[in-house]
Amino acid sequence: MALKKGVYQEFESVVGEENICDDPAIMPSYFNTKFAAIILPGNTAEVQAVIKLCNKHKLVFRPICTGWTGGFPPDIILLDLRRMNRIIEINEKNMYAVVEPYVISSQLQAELFKRGLNFCIKGAGTNCTAMLRGHGHMDQTTSGDDRNHLAIEWVTPEGNIVRTGALGSTDEWFCGDGPGPSLRSILTSAVPPGVTPGVFTKAAVKLYHWPGPSEFPIAGRSPKYVLSEIPPNMMARYYSFPSVEKMWQAEIGLGEAEICYELMGFNAAMVAANITTSNEEDEAMFNRLNKEVQGPGFFVIIAGNSPADFAYKKKVLEKIVEEAEGKSLKTLEDPELEGIIMCQCTRISASIRETFRPGGAFNSIPIMGQRDLTIKWAIGAGEAKKPLIEKGLIVDDGGAFFGWGVEQGHLGKTEIFCKYSPSNPEAKEAVETWQREQSRRAFTERYFASTMGPQDDIGPSLCNYHLWWSKLLKAIDPNGVSPEAGSLV
Amino acid sequence: MGLEQYQGDMEMCCRCSACKFIPMQKVKGHQYAYVCPSISRYNFHAYSGGGRLNIGAAMLKDGFKYTDKLLDIVYNCQLCGACGVSCNYAMDMEVLQPITEFRIKCVDDGKTHPALDKVIANLRKQGSMISGAKGKRGAWATGLNIKDAAKEKVDVLYHVGCLTSFDKNMQKLAKATVKILQKAGVNFGIFGNAETCCGGRAYQMGYTKDFLNQAKKNMAMIKKAGVKTLVTGCADGYQAFKVLYDKYELKGDLKVLHISEYIAKLIQDGRLKPRKKVVMTVTYHDPCRLGRLGEPWVHWKGKKIPGDRFVFDPPKPYRRGTNGVYDPPRDVLKAIPGLKLTEMTRIKEYSWCCGAGGGVSESNPAFARWTARERIDEAISTGAEALVTACPWCEKTFTETIKDSGSNLKVYDIVEIVEKAV
Repeated sequence: MALKKGVYQEFESVVGEENICDDPAIMPSYFNTKFAAIILPGNTAEVQAVIKLCNKHKLVFRPICTGWTGGFPPDIILLDLRRMNRIIEINEKNMYAVVEPYVISSQLQAELFKRGLNFCIKGAGTNCTAMLRGHGHMDQTTSGDDRNHLAIEWVTPEGNIVRTGALGSTDEWFCGDGPGPSLRSILTSAVPPGVTPGVFTKAAVKLYHWPGPSEFPIAGRSPKYVLSEIPPNMMARYYSFPSVEKMWQAEIGLGEAEICYELMGFNAAMVAANITTSNEEDEAMFNRLNKEVQGPGFFVIIAGNSPADFAYKKKVLEKIVEEAEGKSLKTLEDPELEGIIMCQCTRISASIRETFRPGGAFNSIPIMGQRDLTIKWAIGAGEAKKPLIEKGLIVDDGGAFFGWGVEQGHLGKTEIFCKYSPSNPEAKEAVETWQREQSRRAFTERYFASTMGPQDDIGPSLCNYHLWWSKLLKAIDPNGVSPEAGSLV
Repeated sequence: MGLEQYQGDMEMCCRCSACKFIPMQKVKGHQYAYVCPSISRYNFHAYSGGGRLNIGAAMLKDGFKYTDKLLDIVYNCQLCGACGVSCNYAMDMEVLQPITEFRIKCVDDGKTHPALDKVIANLRKQGSMISGAKGKRGAWATGLNIKDAAKEKVDVLYHVGCLTSFDKNMQKLAKATVKILQKAGVNFGIFGNAETCCGGRAYQMGYTKDFLNQAKKNMAMIKKAGVKTLVTGCADGYQAFKVLYDKYELKGDLKVLHISEYIAKLIQDGRLKPRKKVVMTVTYHDPCRLGRLGEPWVHWKGKKIPGDRFVFDPPKPYRRGTNGVYDPPRDVLKAIPGLKLTEMTRIKEYSWCCGAGGGVSESNPAFARWTARERIDEAISTGAEALVTACPWCEKTFTETIKDSGSNLKVYDIVEIVEKAV
């Protein structure tokens, strides 16, 4: 559905001729659908004006950042937020940074490292927006999900500008819950559709202490950047364990001791993806590591604030691992590989290798909750992958899952995915079936209620939250113009 | 085969946007994180490397529907290859090759850009990429006592290139090169008025037939003259002779060197001694076609292995842009007494383009200057007094842009700096 000329001109008058396009040639670059138009707003006022026009003309819109998410229905207005790419403020004293949607994590982190600070970069990768809500490799110390969003500037589906938390009553961004209005349950909702309608135009993200270098000493050439030396007081190791229970024992122990900067429950396939430079090398390394590990495991980064702090953390780490019968992966003790994975897993620069490189696509079931329970579910989901591996429909990763402790193990994240070729429809269908079945199994076997699961089944068991959510949506989006928004990857 | 051979590569694109930025580990802050001029200037995802692949994949599937916007996307790209370098940090897939093939298809389908048509018409008529060029190609060499490589036996053929030969402001580069080679006692020659365009820029513009025509002419002259070693002062020429001629199996055993490589060797062998102080802080700009696109061509034939992974038999060796000419120009600059080299953020394989490539300097000069201005700002941020490059097209674009902006930054080709020191 093309926009009528007059309607197009109304949008054009807001963003300018250069920043709106309805030419069909441009559409497939975003998604294989026919958008009504792609619009590039440059600031909050333009976002607001565009959304008001969407309401006036009953046009559905959806925002994106760098853009690898989606699924987009036809005939919508796509708001590409690329022009909104400023770091507004880095407040070292109150430890927050305010960013616009198209600041990528890599940019913000590089600025923060110079100031001895860091933030939670999501597992999607450092090439994605710094504003993204979710979980990542450094959750052990930087927490994850909505806990890292402080005050937010939000343009509602009706086009009103809402400034939450401290921003609602002052010009400060330090708190998401007051003294101004707190809308945390709506703005950071983890329930379906799992994302907030409207558009986040600015957000403050929480900052954390960074004990590492202001800049990693990178040498070598792409695709093999290495560290010329391991930064002082830092160490990376991978430990495997004889059983899931033993791994869990160590994970809990390390969380309680609060000594790990990062504890990432990688499987061998993900370690191999990080440290190798091609698909062939990746496959060979995976086979090698699979023989070397004794069972499930995790990757750890220790970062000391001083030599004494580092020595203490290292000693505690070794003791806890030893008690859980853990074994260090010799391959990763090689300083070159140690440096590669230390940098990759801090700068989160290899998520694409972990997910897209082998086949070009992946589907995932990410779970937030109690780690020991979600691990038990994930073992079953991994077993269910094996027939797909045997048929050659998905990449062989041994049926593995991965996950990590959040906030020193206070919470946990578990995830499992299938990598496949997007050119193979049979593979795509098989993976989507696996995804549906395993999400349903999670609920029917009472492990957890997946946000991707069958909501009409799950809802009644959870106070009919899905119906309440629908009512909320209707209240804040009476014209139904923002049915699935906030997609800020 | 054309674009079709890259269907699998294009379908591999996951829209991760890595192609818009320098490799993630190299990002040093908010500034200078972008690597692709086209998406940086025009913002719609379609102007990025990934966007171009997504469009290519869709059009192979659904048919080619040319619109003005599509052609705007196609021709507003320097084909600088930076997108591919960043993508290939993580992914095993071709990026620049399908983008180039897409442009070639546009030209083959008659969907050309009028400004580029004009340039190519001139090439067909005069053997030069400089529209409206007057005078003889070898006129700059009058009185310099240079051998005619077509008539006399020489160790080295100096291929001067179109811009350096015809542009009065660039002829100084040819003269500086001659002075350096003579000082080092090199037995070299030129083809003078008989020299013809390498064809490299025609290839970038999508006119493969014209490129091949030039390549064949050049190689016939080179073979006839018995030339074994060719030195070029132009990055476009370097890529053409070294990489593209090899891609089309026309290069044979010809040894191709850029003047910066050759000078580095002369210094290393003690044949050239830069003794005079050049007290100046400079920063070095890696020309795309000397750096990432100057990487040797790798001949490979194979088939995708059926199944879940995008892998081939035999394994496909991807050209990731890291084997270009990066150290020799830096070695030359470091050998000059008094000269201090300071680096920009975006260097070597992830260098930012000067703006002139892909015919953009002819089809959209404003975009070329916009791209150059970004680089000039980056150069100024290092505290350098001068920006040194190793390609006349870069120098011309930077110089013209600086003239418009009123900046005090000076621009030199590397041969001009060496000339001052010998």
